Amino acid sequence: MEPVRILGICCNWSPFVCYNAAGMTGLNMPSNFRLIRVMCIGRINQALILRAFEFGADGVILLECKDEDCRYGPGPEVGHENVNRVRKLLHLLGISQERLVERTFGAHEKVALVQTVWKFAVEIDALGPLKKRSDGKPVRTTM
Amino acid sequence: MNDPRIDQMIVDMSLYQCLECGKCTASCPRRLSGKEYSPRLLAHKVIAEREDEAYIENSVWECLTCGMCRERCPSGVDFNRFILEMRAMLAETKGLKGYRAHDGAIHSWMRMMTTPGLKQNRLDWVDSDIQVARSGEVAFFAGCAPYFDVFFAGIEVDTISIAKDSIRLLNFLDIKPVLLPDERCCGHDLLWSGDVENFEALCRLNFKTFKDAGIREIIVSCPECYQVLSEHMPGIVSGFDIKVTLLIDLLQQELKKGGLAFRPLKRKATFQDPCRLVRMLDRSSGPRELLGLVPEMTFVEMENSGRGALCCGNCGFINCDAYSKQIQVARLKEAKATGADLLITACPKCMIHLTCTIRDRMRHGKKIKMEIRDLASVLADGIEYSG
Repeated sequence: MEPVRILGICCNWSPFVCYNAAGMTGLNMPSNFRLIRVMCIGRINQALILRAFEFGADGVILLECKDEDCRYGPGPEVGHENVNRVRKLLHLLGISQERLVERTFGAHEKVALVQTVWKFAVEIDALGPLKKRSDGKPVRTTM
Repeated sequence: MNDPRIDQMIVDMSLYQCLECGKCTASCPRRLSGKEYSPRLLAHKVIAEREDEAYIENSVWECLTCGMCRERCPSGVDFNRFILEMRAMLAETKGLKGYRAHDGAIHSWMRMMTTPGLKQNRLDWVDSDIQVARSGEVAFFAGCAPYFDVFFAGIEVDTISIAKDSIRLLNFLDIKPVLLPDERCCGHDLLWSGDVENFEALCRLNFKTFKDAGIREIIVSCPECYQVLSEHMPGIVSGFDIKVTLLIDLLQQELKKGGLAFRPLKRKATFQDPCRLVRMLDRSSGPRELLGLVPEMTFVEMENSGRGALCCGNCGFINCDAYSKQIQVARLKEAKATGADLLITACPKCMIHLTCTIRDRMRHGKKIKMEIRDLASVLADGIEYSG
Protein backbone atom coordinates (compact mmCIF):
# COMPACT_ATOMS: atom_id res chain seq x y z
CA MET A 1 0.00 0.00 0.00
CA GLU A 2 1.16 3.50 -0.83
CA PRO A 3 2.43 5.36 2.24
CA VAL A 4 0.28 8.22 3.49
CA ARG A 5 1.39 11.77 2.78
CA ILE A 6 1.48 14.24 5.63
CA LEU A 7 1.78 17.99 5.29
CA GLY A 8 2.77 20.34 8.07
CA ILE A 9 2.08 24.02 7.63
CA CYS A 10 4.45 25.72 10.01
CA CYS A 11 4.59 29.26 11.34
CA ASN A 12 8.01 30.84 10.87
CA TRP A 13 8.27 31.87 14.54
CA SER A 14 7.84 29.59 17.56
CA PRO A 15 7.02 26.32 15.75
CA PHE A 16 9.79 26.75 13.20
CA VAL A 17 12.26 27.54 15.98
CA CYS A 18 11.20 24.20 17.50
CA TYR A 19 11.51 22.42 14.15
CA ASN A 20 14.95 23.92 13.54
CA ALA A 21 16.17 23.08 17.04
CA ALA A 22 14.84 19.53 16.65
CA GLY A 23 16.86 19.18 13.45
CA MET A 24 20.00 20.59 15.12
CA THR A 25 19.76 18.04 17.93
CA GLY A 26 19.19 15.20 15.48
CA LEU A 27 15.57 14.41 16.36
CA ASN A 28 14.04 12.54 13.44
CA MET A 29 10.80 13.41 11.72
CA PRO A 30 8.60 10.88 9.90
CA SER A 31 9.91 10.33 6.35
CA ASN A 32 6.46 10.94 4.84
CA PHE A 33 6.22 14.37 6.50
CA ARG A 34 6.61 17.50 4.34
CA LEU A 35 6.78 20.98 5.76
CA ILE A 36 5.67 24.31 4.32
CA ARG A 37 7.00 27.29 6.21
CA VAL A 38 4.82 30.41 6.26
CA MET A 39 5.34 33.74 7.97
CA CYS A 40 2.23 33.30 10.12
CA ILE A 41 -0.60 30.77 10.35
CA GLY A 42 -2.92 33.74 9.80
CA ARG A 43 -1.65 33.76 6.23
CA ILE A 44 -3.26 30.37 5.60
CA ASN A 45 -6.87 30.47 4.50
CA GLN A 46 -9.55 27.82 3.99
CA ALA A 47 -8.67 27.47 0.32
CA LEU A 48 -5.01 26.63 0.95
CA ILE A 49 -5.90 23.92 3.46
CA LEU A 50 -8.46 22.42 1.08
CA ARG A 51 -5.93 22.60 -1.74
CA ALA A 52 -3.48 20.46 0.25
CA PHE A 53 -6.10 17.69 0.28
CA GLU A 54 -6.96 18.33 -3.36
CA PHE A 55 -3.29 17.85 -4.26
CA GLY A 56 -3.03 14.55 -2.44
CA ALA A 57 -2.28 15.14 1.25
CA ASP A 58 -3.75 12.47 3.51
CA GLY A 59 -3.35 14.55 6.65
CA VAL A 60 -2.63 18.22 7.33
CA ILE A 61 -1.28 19.60 10.59
CA LEU A 62 -1.07 23.33 11.28
CA LEU A 63 1.86 24.14 13.57
CA GLU A 64 1.07 27.46 15.23
CA CYS A 65 2.36 29.84 17.89
CA LYS A 66 0.51 30.13 21.19
CA ASP A 67 -2.27 32.73 20.86
CA GLU A 68 -0.43 35.22 23.08
CA ASP A 69 2.90 34.77 21.24
CA CYS A 70 1.76 35.78 17.75
CA ARG A 71 4.11 38.37 16.26
CA TYR A 72 1.32 39.92 14.24
CA GLY A 73 -1.73 39.70 16.51
CA PRO A 74 -4.57 37.47 15.44
CA GLY A 75 -2.64 34.73 13.55
CA PRO A 76 -3.50 31.69 15.68
CA GLU A 77 -7.14 32.83 16.08
CA VAL A 78 -7.42 33.00 12.28
CA GLY A 79 -5.96 29.48 12.25
CA HIS A 80 -8.58 28.16 14.72
CA GLU A 81 -11.41 29.72 12.70
CA ASN A 82 -10.15 28.30 9.40
CA VAL A 83 -9.58 24.84 10.83
CA ASN A 84 -13.13 24.83 12.24
CA ARG A 85 -14.64 25.82 8.89
CA VAL A 86 -12.54 23.46 6.78
CA ARG A 87 -13.27 20.59 9.17
CA LYS A 88 -16.97 21.15 8.50
CA LEU A 89 -16.33 21.06 4.75
CA LEU A 90 -14.21 17.90 5.13
CA HIS A 91 -17.05 16.32 7.11
CA LEU A 92 -19.44 17.08 4.21
CA LEU A 93 -16.95 15.49 1.82
CA GLY A 94 -16.82 12.40 4.01
CA ILE A 95 -13.20 13.04 4.93
CA SER A 96 -12.47 12.27 8.59
CA GLN A 97 -12.03 15.46 10.58
CA GLU A 98 -9.05 13.88 12.33
CA ARG A 99 -7.11 14.42 9.11
CA LEU A 100 -6.88 18.14 9.85
CA VAL A 101 -5.49 19.28 13.17
CA GLU A 102 -3.82 22.36 14.64
CA ARG A 103 -1.35 22.44 17.49
CA THR A 104 0.31 25.37 19.23
CA PHE A 105 3.86 25.52 20.52
CA GLY A 106 6.05 27.81 22.53
CA ALA A 107 9.55 28.44 21.12
CA HIS A 108 11.17 26.00 23.56
CA GLU A 109 8.97 22.98 22.81
CA LYS A 110 11.05 21.13 20.24
CA VAL A 111 10.48 17.71 21.78
CA ALA A 112 6.73 18.28 22.03
CA LEU A 113 6.62 19.33 18.36
CA VAL A 114 8.46 16.23 17.18
CA GLN A 115 6.27 13.98 19.34
CA THR A 116 3.12 15.69 18.05
CA VAL A 117 4.11 15.17 14.42
CA TRP A 118 4.98 11.50 15.05
CA LYS A 119 1.68 10.95 16.85
CA PHE A 120 -0.19 12.59 13.97
CA ALA A 121 1.71 10.47 11.44
CA VAL A 122 0.73 7.29 13.30
CA GLU A 123 -2.91 8.38 13.43
CA ILE A 124 -3.04 9.18 9.72
CA ASP A 125 -1.28 5.93 8.93
CA ALA A 126 -4.03 4.10 10.83
CA LEU A 127 -6.69 5.96 8.83
CA GLY A 128 -4.89 5.03 5.61
CA PRO A 129 -4.60 6.99 2.39
CA LEU A 130 -7.55 9.08 1.23
CA LYS A 131 -9.52 7.72 -1.67
CA LYS A 132 -8.07 9.02 -4.88
CA ARG A 133 -9.42 9.18 -8.40
CA SER A 134 -10.06 5.97 -10.27
CA ASP A 135 -6.65 6.26 -11.97
CA GLY A 136 -5.03 6.35 -8.53
CA LYS A 137 -3.86 9.94 -8.87
CA PRO A 138 -4.83 12.71 -6.47
CA VAL A 139 -7.48 15.05 -7.81
CA ARG A 140 -4.87 17.49 -9.01
CA THR A 141 -1.12 17.34 -9.33
CA THR A 142 -0.31 20.61 -11.07
CA MET A 143 -1.58 24.14 -10.89
CA MET B 1 -3.97 31.25 -31.19
CA ASN B 2 -3.42 29.44 -34.47
CA ASP B 3 -5.67 26.70 -33.22
CA PRO B 4 -8.10 25.73 -35.99
CA ARG B 5 -10.74 25.26 -33.32
CA ILE B 6 -10.96 29.07 -33.07
CA ASP B 7 -11.83 29.30 -36.79
CA GLN B 8 -14.57 26.79 -36.19
CA MET B 9 -15.86 28.74 -33.19
CA ILE B 10 -16.01 31.92 -35.27
CA VAL B 11 -18.26 30.12 -37.72
CA ASP B 12 -20.34 28.22 -35.16
CA MET B 13 -20.94 31.21 -32.91
CA SER B 14 -21.66 33.58 -35.84
CA LEU B 15 -18.79 35.96 -35.08
CA TYR B 16 -18.55 36.86 -38.78
CA GLN B 17 -22.07 38.25 -38.49
CA CYS B 18 -20.84 40.95 -36.11
CA LEU B 19 -21.79 44.40 -37.41
CA GLU B 20 -19.43 46.19 -35.02
CA CYS B 21 -22.48 48.12 -33.82
CA GLY B 22 -21.12 48.01 -30.28
CA LYS B 23 -24.41 47.27 -28.55
CA CYS B 24 -22.72 44.42 -26.70
CA THR B 25 -20.06 46.63 -25.19
CA ALA B 26 -22.52 49.44 -24.47
CA SER B 27 -24.64 47.06 -22.40
CA CYS B 28 -21.84 45.00 -20.83
CA PRO B 29 -21.94 45.38 -17.02
CA ARG B 30 -18.14 45.07 -16.90
CA ARG B 31 -17.78 48.01 -19.29
CA LEU B 32 -20.53 50.02 -17.56
CA SER B 33 -18.76 49.66 -14.23
CA GLY B 34 -15.72 51.34 -15.76
CA LYS B 35 -13.50 48.43 -16.75
CA GLU B 36 -11.69 48.54 -20.08
CA TYR B 37 -13.58 45.59 -21.44
CA SER B 38 -15.22 45.16 -24.82
CA PRO B 39 -16.98 42.13 -26.28
CA ARG B 40 -17.06 43.95 -29.64
CA LEU B 41 -13.30 44.40 -29.67
CA LEU B 42 -12.79 40.81 -28.57
CA ALA B 43 -14.81 39.62 -31.58
CA HIS B 44 -12.79 41.90 -33.84
CA LYS B 45 -9.45 40.74 -32.45
CA VAL B 46 -10.38 37.09 -32.77
CA ILE B 47 -11.36 37.60 -36.40
CA ALA B 48 -8.74 40.05 -37.59
CA GLU B 49 -5.89 40.49 -35.09
CA ARG B 50 -5.33 37.14 -33.61
CA GLU B 51 -1.70 37.90 -32.88
CA ASP B 52 -2.85 40.05 -29.96
CA GLU B 53 -2.94 36.98 -27.75
CA ALA B 54 -2.72 38.83 -24.46
CA TYR B 55 -5.81 40.90 -25.20
CA ILE B 56 -7.84 37.92 -26.35
CA GLU B 57 -6.88 35.73 -23.42
CA ASN B 58 -7.53 38.42 -20.83
CA SER B 59 -10.91 39.23 -22.30
CA VAL B 60 -11.95 35.59 -22.44
CA TRP B 61 -11.19 35.13 -18.73
CA GLU B 62 -12.57 38.54 -17.66
CA CYS B 63 -16.10 37.98 -18.98
CA LEU B 64 -18.82 37.55 -16.35
CA THR B 65 -20.82 35.33 -18.77
CA CYS B 66 -24.00 37.17 -17.75
CA GLY B 67 -25.21 37.01 -21.36
CA MET B 68 -26.21 40.65 -21.76
CA CYS B 69 -24.11 41.01 -24.95
CA ARG B 70 -25.82 38.02 -26.52
CA GLU B 71 -29.17 39.41 -25.44
CA ARG B 72 -28.54 42.76 -27.14
CA CYS B 73 -26.73 41.50 -30.25
CA PRO B 74 -28.85 42.12 -33.37
CA SER B 75 -26.82 39.55 -35.33
CA GLY B 76 -27.19 36.56 -33.07
CA VAL B 77 -23.53 36.26 -32.09
CA ASP B 78 -23.47 33.55 -29.43
CA PHE B 79 -21.02 35.19 -27.05
CA ASN B 80 -21.74 32.92 -24.11
CA ARG B 81 -20.86 29.76 -25.97
CA PHE B 82 -17.85 31.46 -27.50
CA ILE B 83 -16.48 32.36 -24.07
CA LEU B 84 -17.30 28.90 -22.74
CA GLU B 85 -15.49 27.09 -25.55
CA MET B 86 -12.56 29.50 -25.62
CA ARG B 87 -12.05 28.99 -21.88
CA ALA B 88 -12.12 25.23 -22.29
CA MET B 89 -9.59 25.46 -25.13
CA LEU B 90 -7.28 27.91 -23.34
CA ALA B 91 -7.43 25.90 -20.12
CA GLU B 92 -6.45 22.80 -22.03
CA THR B 93 -3.55 24.44 -23.86
CA LYS B 94 -2.33 27.04 -21.36
CA GLY B 95 -3.76 26.00 -18.02
CA LEU B 96 -6.56 27.34 -15.88
CA LYS B 97 -6.46 31.12 -15.71
CA GLY B 98 -8.71 33.74 -14.28
CA TYR B 99 -8.54 34.89 -10.69
CA ARG B 100 -10.48 32.41 -8.58
CA ALA B 101 -12.40 34.14 -5.82
CA HIS B 102 -11.92 32.91 -2.23
CA ASP B 103 -8.55 31.63 -3.44
CA GLY B 104 -10.20 28.77 -5.30
CA ALA B 105 -11.66 27.02 -2.24
CA ILE B 106 -14.98 26.51 -3.99
CA HIS B 107 -13.40 25.00 -7.09
CA SER B 108 -11.22 22.83 -4.83
CA TRP B 109 -14.14 21.10 -3.12
CA MET B 110 -15.87 20.70 -6.46
CA ARG B 111 -12.79 18.94 -7.85
CA MET B 112 -12.47 16.82 -4.72
CA MET B 113 -15.98 15.55 -5.45
CA THR B 114 -14.68 13.79 -8.56
CA THR B 115 -13.32 11.02 -6.30
CA PRO B 116 -15.47 8.01 -7.24
CA GLY B 117 -15.74 6.34 -3.81
CA LEU B 118 -16.69 9.56 -2.01
CA LYS B 119 -18.99 8.96 0.98
CA GLN B 120 -20.36 12.38 1.82
CA ASN B 121 -22.23 13.48 4.94
CA ARG B 122 -24.30 15.99 3.03
CA LEU B 123 -27.73 15.34 4.54
CA ASP B 124 -27.15 16.23 8.22
CA TRP B 125 -29.58 19.14 7.81
CA VAL B 126 -32.61 16.99 7.02
CA ASP B 127 -35.11 17.21 9.91
CA SER B 128 -38.78 16.60 10.63
CA ASP B 129 -39.83 19.93 9.02
CA ILE B 130 -39.59 18.25 5.64
CA GLN B 131 -40.87 14.96 4.32
CA VAL B 132 -38.49 12.99 2.17
CA ALA B 133 -38.59 9.45 0.84
CA ARG B 134 -35.96 6.76 1.28
CA SER B 135 -36.49 5.53 -2.23
CA GLY B 136 -38.57 6.51 -5.21
CA GLU B 137 -38.33 7.85 -8.72
CA VAL B 138 -38.32 11.57 -7.97
CA ALA B 139 -35.29 13.21 -6.38
CA PHE B 140 -34.57 16.75 -5.29
CA PHE B 141 -31.10 17.99 -6.27
CA ALA B 142 -29.59 20.06 -3.45
CA GLY B 143 -26.24 20.47 -5.21
CA CYS B 144 -23.70 22.56 -3.30
CA ALA B 145 -26.23 24.02 -0.84
CA PRO B 146 -24.76 22.23 2.23
CA TYR B 147 -21.27 23.37 1.24
CA PHE B 148 -22.11 27.01 0.57
CA ASP B 149 -23.99 27.04 3.86
CA VAL B 150 -20.76 26.24 5.73
CA PHE B 151 -18.45 28.31 3.58
CA PHE B 152 -20.57 31.46 3.61
CA ALA B 153 -21.71 31.16 7.23
CA GLY B 154 -19.48 34.16 7.88
CA ILE B 155 -21.71 36.42 5.80
CA GLU B 156 -24.82 34.70 7.14
CA VAL B 157 -26.04 33.37 3.81
CA ASP B 158 -28.23 30.40 4.59
CA THR B 159 -28.39 28.26 1.46
CA ILE B 160 -29.73 25.20 3.31
CA SER B 161 -32.98 27.02 3.99
CA ILE B 162 -33.45 27.38 0.21
CA ALA B 163 -33.23 23.60 -0.18
CA LYS B 164 -35.51 23.02 2.81
CA ASP B 165 -38.08 25.54 1.62
CA SER B 166 -38.05 23.99 -1.86
CA ILE B 167 -38.81 20.60 -0.32
CA ARG B 168 -41.56 22.12 1.88
CA LEU B 169 -43.16 23.40 -1.34
CA LEU B 170 -42.84 19.96 -2.93
CA ASN B 171 -44.50 18.43 0.14
CA PHE B 172 -47.47 20.75 -0.42
CA LEU B 173 -47.64 19.36 -3.96
CA ASP B 174 -47.78 15.86 -2.43
CA ILE B 175 -44.26 15.06 -3.57
CA LYS B 176 -41.87 13.43 -1.12
CA PRO B 177 -38.59 13.61 -2.98
CA VAL B 178 -35.60 11.35 -2.48
CA LEU B 179 -32.46 13.12 -1.29
CA LEU B 180 -29.36 11.41 -2.61
CA PRO B 181 -26.57 11.10 -0.03
CA ASP B 182 -23.90 10.99 -2.69
CA GLU B 183 -24.99 13.37 -5.40
CA ARG B 184 -22.24 15.82 -6.23
CA CYS B 185 -21.97 19.41 -7.29
CA CYS B 186 -23.46 19.91 -10.76
CA GLY B 187 -20.08 21.31 -11.85
CA HIS B 188 -21.40 24.60 -13.23
CA ASP B 189 -18.53 26.63 -11.80
CA LEU B 190 -15.90 24.19 -13.06
CA LEU B 191 -17.43 24.28 -16.53
CA TRP B 192 -17.49 28.07 -16.70
CA SER B 193 -13.98 28.37 -15.29
CA GLY B 194 -12.61 26.10 -18.02
CA ASP B 195 -12.12 22.85 -16.10
CA VAL B 196 -13.94 20.61 -18.54
CA GLU B 197 -12.21 17.39 -17.45
CA ASN B 198 -13.47 17.57 -13.87
CA PHE B 199 -16.82 18.98 -14.97
CA GLU B 200 -17.42 15.95 -17.16
CA ALA B 201 -16.28 13.63 -14.37
CA LEU B 202 -18.92 15.15 -12.09
CA CYS B 203 -21.60 14.76 -14.77
CA ARG B 204 -20.81 11.08 -15.21
CA LEU B 205 -20.67 10.42 -11.47
CA ASN B 206 -23.97 12.24 -10.90
CA PHE B 207 -25.65 10.31 -13.67
CA LYS B 208 -24.46 7.03 -12.16
CA THR B 209 -25.75 8.12 -8.74
CA PHE B 210 -29.16 8.95 -10.23
CA LYS B 211 -29.37 5.65 -12.13
CA ASP B 212 -28.17 3.51 -9.21
CA ALA B 213 -30.91 5.03 -7.06
CA GLY B 214 -33.54 4.34 -9.73
CA ILE B 215 -34.29 8.04 -10.20
CA ARG B 216 -36.34 9.04 -13.25
CA GLU B 217 -37.00 12.67 -12.46
CA ILE B 218 -34.84 15.29 -10.77
CA ILE B 219 -36.37 18.47 -9.40
CA VAL B 220 -34.00 21.42 -9.18
CA SER B 221 -34.45 24.85 -7.66
CA CYS B 222 -31.11 26.44 -8.60
CA PRO B 223 -31.06 27.79 -12.18
CA GLU B 224 -27.37 26.94 -12.62
CA CYS B 225 -27.89 23.31 -11.61
CA TYR B 226 -30.96 23.17 -13.83
CA GLN B 227 -29.08 24.51 -16.83
CA VAL B 228 -26.25 22.02 -16.36
CA LEU B 229 -28.50 19.02 -15.75
CA SER B 230 -30.94 19.78 -18.55
CA GLU B 231 -28.70 21.30 -21.22
CA HIS B 232 -25.10 20.17 -20.68
CA MET B 233 -25.39 16.72 -19.12
CA PRO B 234 -27.28 15.10 -22.02
CA GLY B 235 -24.38 16.11 -24.30
CA ILE B 236 -21.79 14.50 -22.04
CA VAL B 237 -23.50 11.37 -20.75
CA SER B 238 -24.73 9.15 -23.53
CA GLY B 239 -28.20 7.77 -22.97
CA PHE B 240 -29.16 10.51 -20.51
CA ASP B 241 -32.82 9.70 -19.93
CA ILE B 242 -33.69 11.53 -16.73
CA LYS B 243 -36.39 14.17 -16.70
CA VAL B 244 -35.09 17.40 -15.23
CA THR B 245 -37.72 19.71 -13.77
CA LEU B 246 -37.25 23.29 -12.62
CA LEU B 247 -39.11 23.91 -9.37
CA ILE B 248 -40.54 27.20 -10.68
CA ASP B 249 -42.03 25.46 -13.74
CA LEU B 250 -43.52 22.72 -11.58
CA LEU B 251 -45.05 25.23 -9.17
CA GLN B 252 -46.57 27.26 -11.99
CA GLN B 253 -48.13 24.16 -13.47
CA GLU B 254 -49.38 22.67 -10.19
CA LEU B 255 -50.71 25.85 -8.60
CA LYS B 256 -53.03 26.32 -11.59
CA LYS B 257 -54.82 23.15 -10.53
CA GLY B 258 -56.11 24.86 -7.38
CA GLY B 259 -56.24 23.66 -3.80
CA LEU B 260 -53.31 25.78 -2.70
CA ALA B 261 -53.08 29.46 -1.87
CA PHE B 262 -50.78 31.89 -0.13
CA ARG B 263 -51.22 33.83 3.07
CA PRO B 264 -51.04 37.61 2.62
CA LEU B 265 -47.60 39.19 2.84
CA LYS B 266 -47.63 42.92 3.46
CA ARG B 267 -44.29 43.69 1.91
CA LYS B 268 -43.08 45.70 -1.03
CA ALA B 269 -40.84 43.40 -3.03
CA THR B 270 -38.67 43.48 -6.13
CA PHE B 271 -36.98 40.67 -8.05
CA GLN B 272 -33.35 40.11 -9.01
CA ASP B 273 -33.43 38.12 -12.27
CA PRO B 274 -30.65 35.50 -12.27
CA CYS B 275 -28.82 35.46 -15.62
CA ARG B 276 -29.09 31.69 -16.11
CA LEU B 277 -32.79 31.63 -15.27
CA VAL B 278 -33.89 34.61 -17.26
CA ARG B 279 -31.56 35.20 -20.19
CA MET B 280 -30.37 31.65 -20.82
CA LEU B 281 -33.47 29.69 -19.82
CA ASP B 282 -36.05 32.38 -20.69
CA ARG B 283 -38.05 32.09 -17.47
CA SER B 284 -38.65 35.77 -16.65
CA SER B 285 -42.41 35.44 -16.34
CA GLY B 286 -42.44 32.38 -14.01
CA PRO B 287 -41.21 34.03 -10.82
CA ARG B 288 -43.44 37.07 -11.41
CA GLU B 289 -46.49 34.92 -11.99
CA LEU B 290 -45.81 33.01 -8.76
CA LEU B 291 -45.23 36.19 -6.75
CA GLY B 292 -48.46 37.56 -8.22
CA LEU B 293 -50.32 34.83 -6.31
CA VAL B 294 -49.21 36.25 -2.95
CA PRO B 295 -52.00 38.54 -1.68
CA GLU B 296 -51.26 42.04 -0.43
CA MET B 297 -47.67 41.98 -1.65
CA THR B 298 -46.72 44.97 -3.74
CA PHE B 299 -44.40 43.96 -6.54
CA VAL B 300 -42.23 46.59 -8.16
CA GLU B 301 -39.76 46.22 -11.01
CA MET B 302 -36.26 47.62 -10.98
CA GLU B 303 -35.08 49.99 -13.69
CA ASN B 304 -33.44 47.05 -15.45
CA SER B 305 -35.46 43.89 -15.14
CA GLY B 306 -36.38 40.66 -16.87
CA ARG B 307 -34.07 39.78 -19.74
CA GLY B 308 -32.41 43.18 -19.42
CA ALA B 309 -31.61 42.74 -15.71
CA LEU B 310 -28.23 43.76 -14.38
CA CYS B 311 -25.83 40.98 -13.38
CA CYS B 312 -25.27 40.16 -9.69
CA GLY B 313 -21.61 40.85 -10.36
CA ASN B 314 -19.96 37.47 -10.60
CA CYS B 315 -20.32 34.04 -12.10
CA GLY B 316 -18.53 30.80 -11.37
CA PHE B 317 -16.53 32.48 -8.62
CA ILE B 318 -13.88 33.76 -10.96
CA ASN B 319 -12.68 37.33 -11.46
CA CYS B 320 -14.54 38.97 -8.63
CA ASP B 321 -12.95 42.38 -8.36
CA ALA B 322 -13.65 46.03 -7.57
CA TYR B 323 -15.68 46.26 -10.80
CA SER B 324 -17.82 43.32 -9.71
CA LYS B 325 -18.44 45.18 -6.47
CA GLN B 326 -19.47 48.28 -8.42
CA ILE B 327 -22.02 46.27 -10.40
CA GLN B 328 -23.40 44.87 -7.16
CA VAL B 329 -23.67 48.30 -5.58
CA ALA B 330 -25.41 49.60 -8.73
CA ARG B 331 -27.82 46.70 -8.65
CA LEU B 332 -28.62 47.13 -4.97
CA LYS B 333 -29.17 50.85 -5.52
CA GLU B 334 -31.64 50.01 -8.28
CA ALA B 335 -33.42 47.69 -5.86
CA LYS B 336 -33.49 50.40 -3.18
CA ALA B 337 -34.78 52.99 -5.66
CA THR B 338 -37.95 50.97 -6.16
CA GLY B 339 -38.86 51.62 -2.52
CA ALA B 340 -39.04 47.86 -1.91
CA ASP B 341 -38.00 46.43 1.45
CA LEU B 342 -37.51 42.88 0.21
CA LEU B 343 -35.28 41.72 -2.61
CA ILE B 344 -36.31 38.34 -3.92
CA THR B 345 -34.05 36.24 -6.11
CA ALA B 346 -34.16 32.69 -7.41
CA CYS B 347 -30.48 31.77 -7.46
CA PRO B 348 -28.30 31.14 -4.40
CA LYS B 349 -25.35 32.76 -6.19
CA CYS B 350 -27.18 36.07 -6.62
CA MET B 351 -27.93 35.92 -2.91
CA ILE B 352 -24.33 35.17 -1.97
CA HIS B 353 -22.81 37.88 -4.17
CA LEU B 354 -25.26 40.62 -3.25
CA THR B 355 -25.15 39.78 0.46
CA CYS B 356 -21.36 39.92 0.34
CA THR B 357 -21.56 43.51 -0.90
CA ILE B 358 -24.25 44.54 1.58
CA ARG B 359 -22.11 43.27 4.44
CA ASP B 360 -18.93 44.94 3.20
CA ARG B 361 -18.17 47.52 5.88
CA MET B 362 -16.26 49.67 3.42
CA ARG B 363 -19.31 50.03 1.18
CA HIS B 364 -22.40 52.17 1.25
CA GLY B 365 -23.97 50.92 4.48
CA LYS B 366 -27.64 51.70 4.79
CA LYS B 367 -27.94 53.00 1.24
CA ILE B 368 -27.73 49.44 -0.10
CA LYS B 369 -28.84 47.42 2.92
CA MET B 370 -31.83 45.25 2.17
CA GLU B 371 -33.30 41.89 3.11
CA ILE B 372 -32.64 39.26 0.42
CA ARG B 373 -34.69 36.08 0.26
CA ASP B 374 -35.03 33.26 -2.20
CA LEU B 375 -38.27 32.89 -4.12
CA ALA B 376 -38.71 29.36 -2.73
CA SER B 377 -38.46 30.66 0.85
CA VAL B 378 -40.96 33.48 0.28
CA LEU B 379 -43.44 31.04 -1.27
CA ALA B 380 -42.88 28.25 1.28
CA ASP B 381 -43.48 30.63 4.20
CA GLY B 382 -46.89 31.61 2.85
CA ILE B 383 -48.27 28.50 1.19
CA GLU B 384 -51.39 26.84 2.64
CA TYR B 385 -54.18 24.50 1.58
CA SER B 386 -57.32 26.27 0.43
CA GLY B 387 -60.88 25.02 0.20
